[in-house]
Amino acid sequence: MSLVSGPGRGGITDDRLPHELRLFVDKHVCYIQSLDTRKDELEYWLTEHLRLSGLYWGLTALHLLGRPDGLPRNEVLDFVMSCMHDNGGFGAAPGHDAHMLYTISAVQILATLDAFGELEERVGGGRQKIGQYIASLQDTTTGTFAGDEWGETDTRFLYGALNALSLLGLLDLVNINQAVEHIQECANFDGGYGTSPGAESHAGQIFTCVAALSIAGRLDLVDRDKLGGWLSERQLKNGGLNGRPEKKEDVCYSWWVASSLAMIGRLHWIDAEKLTKFILNCQDPELGGFADRPGNMVDVFHTVFGIAGLSLVKYAGLVEVDPVYCMPLAVTKRALGKLK
Amino acid sequence: MSKYSDDPAWSDIVPLPQDDGGPNPLAAIAYKDEYSEAMSYLRAVMAENEMSERVLGLTEHIISMNPAHYTVWLYRAKCLFTLSSDLKAEIAWLNPTALKHLKNYQIWHHRQTIIEKLDSADGEVTFISSMLEADSKNYHVWSYRQWLVRRFDLWHEGELEAVEGMLKEDVRNNSAWNHRWFVVFGNEKMEGVDDGVLEREMDYAKAAIYMTPQNQSPWNYLRGLLRYAKLPASTLKEFALEFASPEKPDEVHSSHALDLLADIYAEEENKKEAEKALDLLAKRFDPIRANYWNYRKSLLELPAAAS
Ligand SMILES: [Zn+2]
Repeated sequence: MSLVSGPGRGGITDDRLPHELRLFVDKHVCYIQSLDTRKDELEYWLTEHLRLSGLYWGLTALHLLGRPDGLPRNEVLDFVMSCMHDNGGFGAAPGHDAHMLYTISAVQILATLDAFGELEERVGGGRQKIGQYIASLQDTTTGTFAGDEWGETDTRFLYGALNALSLLGLLDLVNINQAVEHIQECANFDGGYGTSPGAESHAGQIFTCVAALSIAGRLDLVDRDKLGGWLSERQLKNGGLNGRPEKKEDVCYSWWVASSLAMIGRLHWIDAEKLTKFILNCQDPELGGFADRPGNMVDVFHTVFGIAGLSLVKYAGLVEVDPVYCMPLAVTKRALGKLK
Repeated sequence: MSKYSDDPAWSDIVPLPQDDGGPNPLAAIAYKDEYSEAMSYLRAVMAENEMSERVLGLTEHIISMNPAHYTVWLYRAKCLFTLSSDLKAEIAWLNPTALKHLKNYQIWHHRQTIIEKLDSADGEVTFISSMLEADSKNYHVWSYRQWLVRRFDLWHEGELEAVEGMLKEDVRNNSAWNHRWFVVFGNEKMEGVDDGVLEREMDYAKAAIYMTPQNQSPWNYLRGLLRYAKLPASTLKEFALEFASPEKPDEVHSSHALDLLADIYAEEENKKEAEKALDLLAKRFDPIRANYWNYRKSLLELPAAAS
């Protein structure tokens, strides 16, 4: 899956009537399907270090649009498996080092495709191997997780670890209580959470912390009113959401902010209609895809988070998204249900 | 190594495609060749686990084309440590590279790895300042700064003065406000904060609010101070009334003051005034969050509303 930006730009520039402001499903499907045909573009190669996540974004967007067969299943599976290392981790593409972020993307894709069985067929004990790799990245003194053997830590990695391990049914490989304690240390004076203790509150990091607490079954630790107040303050007059005070709105925060609000039962604290309009204005109605804000180039990252944001506010015709996993709810229910 | 890197004709190519349509197609094709050639050499040396000056040059070349390629950074760090390279020289090379690629974060992890090994923060604060001049809210830079303060115990080495300078420049910089909190309250080895410090911080936030009454950051800071010191909201009643009153809806200078007053009245069990303040917020000053303000109103009905 390519992460090349463009070809189009977000924004409806002609004089369409307001009632024509709708989701251009077919255009977005074509857009995602065309991404991997752009190998003659430089940016295709310069974004190789994100490829596996790009595939997860594209596949999830298609599922939410109700086109789960939009990408060839076997080719997707082949590519995912070609990124796996002997240590159980996955790199972004063949030849790239294993890293937490791509290992999570791989597990999410495998879960979406209901392919854990095929994983075992191709790599004996594959599920355990992946689980062990993730578990090996927990910092046993602080409870947080590193991205790779070099030890950079971030609540993003902690969340990713719990996300993937829960889908694999292997949460018992790590120290959940210690991870939860670490998240609490990342809570700030303004009610938000940052990337590490003391770091500024940031909607993306709040998503990772709240979702991790949700997987750990410890949402009781969140001051919902205070956090919900801060999160709802992210909505600007144009309906869009920003990630921190005094920053610009951006479609991807439609996801980070709104999913966090949904997890703590406060999604109705923002104006869903205004948000919907803002997101729809970021799509390219001709060539498909979403940009971070109207007028900018579209890309697959903002495309999935724009669509997932619309799904959260129950936009008609979209498949329901799980706010904890950013995957179709039916998929996470199936994956987590199988384990019971 | 690469026939392109030695050719001055290629030195002017901008490594990353621009937001506005990308580089011109011809340059892109040529550049792709240079990049894929360099990458094919990298794969070859990595397969042999070669650690050499030659490899350092190659990684530098690739990073200059694509600094987001995390595998190249990791291999470079391994190489530097194996060869016992001059790490100060590495930092000197990193400085302009970081300034050129402001949004890149692999670079900060690399820097942290090198500085950790060097075991010295010499020159780091100066460099961070120049980064923040270019991008004053860069999350990676601020996170790195906090790591540095903790790692080298720089709590009292001019951090408060530095952050004050940044807030003087832009009193709406939330990152700087957060760093202020970190510097004052974030030292785990410190045992509480004395009343003088608390008062100083209150005054500081208040002064900022006088300048920008509708600025979220100092109001959040002020509220944070109340929670930290376990003081009642009414501590700030007089101050909040300078910016708003539910009785004078046409003279509201700050919705944040109304928000605080709603809490103060709730605390005083003055339900009527609290309701007035929340109604003003829901209907007039912040209608986009009407549901939030109405929820706050519903809390007034609960017996524990004053908590
Ligand atoms: Zn974005």
